[in-house]
Amino acid sequence: MAEETDHGSGAVEPGDTSKRVGAEVIRERGVDPEELREKLIDAIGAEFTTYYYYTNLRMHLAGEEDYKEITEDARLEDRAHFELVVPRVYELEGSLPNDIRDFADRASCPDAEVPTPMDDDGGFDTSDLDVADILEVLLEAERCAIRTWSEICDLTREADPRTYDMAQRILNEEMDHEAWFIELLSKERDDEINPAGHFARGEPGDAPYTKNNPFNDSA
Amino acid sequence: MTQTPTATWTVTIVVPETASLDAAGETFDLDVGEDETILAAARSAGVWLPADCQQGWCTTCVARLVEGAVVHPNARRYYDEDREAGFVLPCTAKPRADTTIVVGRDDEFLDFRAAHDRPPGNSKRDT
Repeated sequence: MAEETDHGSGAVEPGDTSKRVGAEVIRERGVDPEELREKLIDAIGAEFTTYYYYTNLRMHLAGEEDYKEITEDARLEDRAHFELVVPRVYELEGSLPNDIRDFADRASCPDAEVPTPMDDDGGFDTSDLDVADILEVLLEAERCAIRTWSEICDLTREADPRTYDMAQRILNEEMDHEAWFIELLSKERDDEINPAGHFARGEPGDAPYTKNNPFNDSA
Repeated sequence: MTQTPTATWTVTIVVPETASLDAAGETFDLDVGEDETILAAARSAGVWLPADCQQGWCTTCVARLVEGAVVHPNARRYYDEDREAGFVLPCTAKPRADTTIVVGRDDEFLDFRAAHDRPPGNSKRDT
């Protein structure tokens, strides 16, 4: 009979449930898992607020069914990005803020508000609301997301393949979104043909890279 | 028709020894045009400064203004008290004079924003 030996090695004692090897291996590779986790909360805060704000932006593309459809794809995919990464925050021993106002305040991208003032009755003053202005808000929101997830790719490359995989999947879709809104804004504002090179998703918000169920049923 | 040349300023970027950046301990002098952001000029010159949104919102890039002058025409979340306290956001800051900044001030700035009940410090710091 083999001599009984302890299992495990490194900074986590055998049987210790107060630490996670899944976090310690990241630390061993030079990335602070707590700092990474906080950046992830900021980044998915932006995905969540964008999902909310895109609802309003889509609504106000009245009569522009093709623009609404593309905006809906981006809206649902931003929610998919939030859903994809939430479990990772908890794996890294974090949590979502209890107060949604805190979550929105720390979002790493600006609020993507409908670009029009409110009227005297508390509704949107749509008298001068311009489709091109809405498309520009959408475009700049996507650009912020591209920058944010690129930074997370940089931070996790060669240190945390699990988060890196999530971030690069999200980045794929954010780059799709930027291409869509460049095409639409170019046509709407400048009457220029500036193709995205894409066609619409198969289903609204298909999220071909990030919908978490196909590769992570437990999430 | 002639175009008016744009002004160019010397921006000195000081990276403290204690900064968790590859360039810790180094100082860089860059020529930055009046229509250019300090962050974009730095990255174009191979000086990698931290930033996320690049829209003057997240504050990841925050720096201290030591001397000179900048404007933030496109910053989405930059308050009067930030300016009065000498904080700048290089991602949207454009020089208006020869300028020196110290980068890597994000922890200090989150405390400052929290003390003024401003985001994102107020949601990231226990006050």
